[in-house]
Amino acid sequence: MTAYRLSAGGLVDRATSLNFTFDGQSMKGLAGDTLASALLANDQMLVGRSFKYHRPRGIVTAGASEPNALMTIGSGARTDPNTKATVAELYAGLEARSQNSWPSLKYDVGALNGLLSPFLSAGFYYKTFMWPAAFWEKVYEPIIRKAAGLGRAVLERDPEAYEKCWAHCDLLVVGSGPAGLMAALTAGRAGLRVILVDEGFRHGGSLLSETTPIDGEPAAAFVDKALSELATLPNVTLMARTTVFGWYDDNVFGALERVQKHLAVPSSKLPAERVWRIAAKRALLATGAEERPLVFGGNDRPGVMMAGALSTYANRYGVAAGKLVALFTNGSAGYRTAADLAAHGIDIAAIIDSRADSTEVAPFGTRVIRGGSIVDTKGRSRLSGITVERSGFEERIDCDAMGMSGGFSPVIHLACQRGAKPVWSETLKAFVAPDVGAGLRLAGSAAGLYALAACLKDGADKARTIASDLGLLTSAAHLPAVGEETTASFTALWYVPGARSKAFVDFQNDVHAKDLGLALREGFGHVEHAKRYTTNGMATDQGKLSNVNAVGILAGMQGVSPAELGTTTFRPFYTPVPFGALAGTSRDEHAAPKRVSPLHGWAARNKAVFIESGLWYRSSWFPRAGEKTWRESVDREVLNVRENVGLCDVSTLGKIEVFGPDAAEFLNRLYCNPFLKLPVGKARYGLMLREDGMVYDDGTTSRLSDEHFLVTTTTALAGGVMSHMEYCAQVLWPELKVRFCSVSDQWAQMAIAGPKSRLVVQALVEDDVSNAAFPFLAAKAVTLKGGLKGRLFRISFSGELAYELAVPAGYGEAVADKVMDVGRMHGICAYGLEALNVLRIEKGHVTHAELDGRVTPDDAGFGRMLSSQKADFIGKRLSTRFGLTAADRMQMVGLKPVEKDKDIRAGAHLLREGAKPSTLNDQGYVSSACYSPVLGQFIALGFLKSGRERYGEKVVVWDRLRGEETLAEICNPVFVDPANTKLNS
Amino acid sequence: MPHQFQERHALEELVSMNAAAAADHLAVVARQAIVVVLAAEGQEASVAALLTADEEISVRFSAPGEWLVVTGLQTPELLQQSLAALLRETAHCVDQSHGRVLLRLSGANSRAILAKGIGIDLHPSAFVIGSSANVLCGHISINLALVDKNSFEIVVMRSFAESLLHDLCEMGRAFDLSVFFAP
Amino acid sequence: MASLIPCPHCGVRPKEEFAIRGDASLVRPDPESSDETWNDYVHIRANPRGRYREHWQHVAGCRRWLVVERDTFTHEVFSVTDGSVRAWEIGR
Repeated sequence: MTAYRLSAGGLVDRATSLNFTFDGQSMKGLAGDTLASALLANDQMLVGRSFKYHRPRGIVTAGASEPNALMTIGSGARTDPNTKATVAELYAGLEARSQNSWPSLKYDVGALNGLLSPFLSAGFYYKTFMWPAAFWEKVYEPIIRKAAGLGRAVLERDPEAYEKCWAHCDLLVVGSGPAGLMAALTAGRAGLRVILVDEGFRHGGSLLSETTPIDGEPAAAFVDKALSELATLPNVTLMARTTVFGWYDDNVFGALERVQKHLAVPSSKLPAERVWRIAAKRALLATGAEERPLVFGGNDRPGVMMAGALSTYANRYGVAAGKLVALFTNGSAGYRTAADLAAHGIDIAAIIDSRADSTEVAPFGTRVIRGGSIVDTKGRSRLSGITVERSGFEERIDCDAMGMSGGFSPVIHLACQRGAKPVWSETLKAFVAPDVGAGLRLAGSAAGLYALAACLKDGADKARTIASDLGLLTSAAHLPAVGEETTASFTALWYVPGARSKAFVDFQNDVHAKDLGLALREGFGHVEHAKRYTTNGMATDQGKLSNVNAVGILAGMQGVSPAELGTTTFRPFYTPVPFGALAGTSRDEHAAPKRVSPLHGWAARNKAVFIESGLWYRSSWFPRAGEKTWRESVDREVLNVRENVGLCDVSTLGKIEVFGPDAAEFLNRLYCNPFLKLPVGKARYGLMLREDGMVYDDGTTSRLSDEHFLVTTTTALAGGVMSHMEYCAQVLWPELKVRFCSVSDQWAQMAIAGPKSRLVVQALVEDDVSNAAFPFLAAKAVTLKGGLKGRLFRISFSGELAYELAVPAGYGEAVADKVMDVGRMHGICAYGLEALNVLRIEKGHVTHAELDGRVTPDDAGFGRMLSSQKADFIGKRLSTRFGLTAADRMQMVGLKPVEKDKDIRAGAHLLREGAKPSTLNDQGYVSSACYSPVLGQFIALGFLKSGRERYGEKVVVWDRLRGEETLAEICNPVFVDPANTKLNS
Repeated sequence: MPHQFQERHALEELVSMNAAAAADHLAVVARQAIVVVLAAEGQEASVAALLTADEEISVRFSAPGEWLVVTGLQTPELLQQSLAALLRETAHCVDQSHGRVLLRLSGANSRAILAKGIGIDLHPSAFVIGSSANVLCGHISINLALVDKNSFEIVVMRSFAESLLHDLCEMGRAFDLSVFFAP
Repeated sequence: MASLIPCPHCGVRPKEEFAIRGDASLVRPDPESSDETWNDYVHIRANPRGRYREHWQHVAGCRRWLVVERDTFTHEVFSVTDGSVRAWEIGR
């Protein structure tokens, strides 16, 4: 036993013991432990194998910068890889597994990589695996993927729920250490809306392991008092277990709240994690400072930890990482840890101070080696001793743990995520945040202040300034009295010379000091290049420990200051965020809203099969007993419409009412065909172009009164057309007096089509719907028998005698039921989108399958609709440009297979007989195809070069996907009733 | 032969009739009259004045010169007629009583529930009683109004009502949100 | 994650409520204008770094077309005005 639980002390609940497992082994921890502190209490220092060399690795830190102690936590589908044991809160029943080791953590086969390490130097991916090229995908990559790498995601569906939430505040305080806590107190008392966020499961940050008393009490007691005061302020929100991971435009912050990742049995009512978007008028970063490791030989051996982490484990968790601890420091922090450990009765092997002239005082009886350095460490999977060098003499010192302290780097990540470059401070020997504007300020250690009293004061001062910025005057805050402190100081030490074994810079990515040298020699000395070449600063910790040392080493090797070298770019996220949390509730059926037609219930009662169509669920066909395939149902529906009558839900079409004295003029400019003289009570087919002359959308527009029109759009472009109209009215022609309003949801609309449709409609409405009284393209308000008001349009997509009846949406189902009722004697059937499609192809009517954005009105056979009389309309000018009027443009034609039993599918291309398939020989393509039960064969619509001149000619329909060639005859695209006798009957 | 048509609410099959409401409650209003009022050019101020003076209706802001007029006291036909009489040539009134669904969310946690879908600041000092606005809730556009201390009214397009209901239930899960038709 | 656009009619709103169309400085040419003028209007776009005026529609709010003047690099928003106001200003 080397690491152990101290008999007293710490903020753990010694009465509440928690069972957990690590690699299947049962262990016990205490409430208030992290997984890491509990592992240490169980003397489990070895926690993983390194990324590249599979070297044994131990816990290094006590926080979010942990590079080694990455665990897979949980079981089954609820498994999270790459969880930092140093921040994972212990709970009863927690199951943790080490990563990157096989067959076991202790005996790892991959450790052979260590022997191969000369071949695994920086840039090894780029060099070793370049040749032969074919080997990369099949040989190298799978092997590398298997051997290297972090934890594995499970393949099961994630059973957790996630959500997103907005929050708004005057001041967001990130971090609840001394500066953050004082800032929240000051701003909260002043009446600001404050959100105080901390990534830990307990507020207090460094105060939770602080030994200096505040106001004569332990720091933790000060935290408790402050928190209970904050809890009484209604304007303050406290959020623990929450990491602010990003700073975005307009002072919006992203934060991840681990709502119940710390519970063995989560509540089904709550999400596992929650992403917050916090819109803050001001933010204060009180994120503290990160202690830097020292780069010396053998610094990755399990048992070598950050000095501050040793203090935290002892002070906060009551855990000693070793019985005999050495410290290696370049400043005062190492002495502080020595004092902390000594106070807990832990023996100090020695303090090795890289500075020869330091004056810090060590605990009584502690050996101090000034001007010394560590050149190697001993031990297999656990530190057993260190080799210390001073003035050319070497000495072996036994120890079972050691702390290293290489100075401090303020945590400025968030402040530099939006393009601001960190600035090198020669006094602080660290990169600090530049002025990033009033929206975001830094306080305390994050701003380079390392004394407790200074941090408390800075938090209070900065909060006061922010309060007065926002117009709230506050009196000077009462600052708590702080016990005696030593002045924190250190000298820069990027690399400890004389290393006997690998001196690691980045533990997680197995980058050692020599790799950086190699990168420089090979021309990758720029900090961003060195990062990519060596992988220093990549992966889950993003170089929190390693980046500044890497910069220092690279700068030193080039003989420049770190200021000149600069840093790599800070980007969100500060710590990893699960995809599930980013998706929130927007997954599965919640990924997009579902739009429901007012006739949905009617369709469901008639056993419709539904199909997604944009956001809508539309009825696709209505199978009847005995029908085995969808085609059987669709053929029946089509024939029934052609012979009797059918009812189809067309409620999803966009409907826009247009009002105003200039409504007609507006529509006249919007459509390519004229609308000024459309009579009241009439509908007209309209074609809208884009400004580039291509067709945008089509639909019918009815004039309900002089200054009142109803525009219909296709289902797909209902939203787009509305926006387009708004753009035209507001931006292009603000002088036109026109207003509009979407009424798409107000009306249920049903197409009643077929030779017997008039009988059905007449049985329903009071008004006379005879051909004389209600001819083709009539459009009027009608009264249904019984008094319900509706609208009736004599328009037809099927080519049959047809009506569209619109009634207020709430009555839709009842009216549709009644239509079926009165239609039963006429053989009515419900028909869906598939039959509608067949009917319109038979009639040669276009949809967006044809009007795909590359088609002009003339291409689609609407050339004569283009009004040359109108001075202007959208698309007029460019309709006449060269290329849109060429004679060999592809024009819409009909296609019929020469052999009647052959089929044609949309997407196939058209070739001359005997021509080789190529882009040059391409004659056109098939846009829509179907089986026509009326004609008893497949038919298609397509676009063919000079197609209208080529009726009767034969082309090859070339379907590359199915490897088929079918000979087809070119024909008029109107297959059924070209004379429109049915339509007008 | 006259036909009697039964009106059907968009959420009829998803929501039960009124029972005991929880502390946080979503009431689905069974019948309401909603009209979109579009002021004619130059008439925006006079229309706004006439509308706000009418105590039988609630006026919700949509856009400059455009409001939703909501009332539970009149039928759609009557509302349409009374607005036509009130506003005459100064505005166009479009009946949306069937095209919209009205929901009322109330309870101490109503803001916390809405914050899961709505990006605007709903703090009582920022969104005061009587405020209304078109906003995005999750993926769906709605009109939101604060009608009482902790009571919001939501107007949503009929075709989106089912999805919004599901979203609101999800957002209210942590607070045991109850959902019933309003009595 | 988020940007906030101050809509002149609705107040500060997340960018998800808006749809962007692009350059707001374009003026629709006279129908008789030259091919070049029309080609420029319909097809040619600068993609400047820095201050830029764009048309954004507040789709989930007031549905007004707005002119958003912002920096395409920093995304600082300088001003947001109603598109019709701008349309009148540029001499229509």
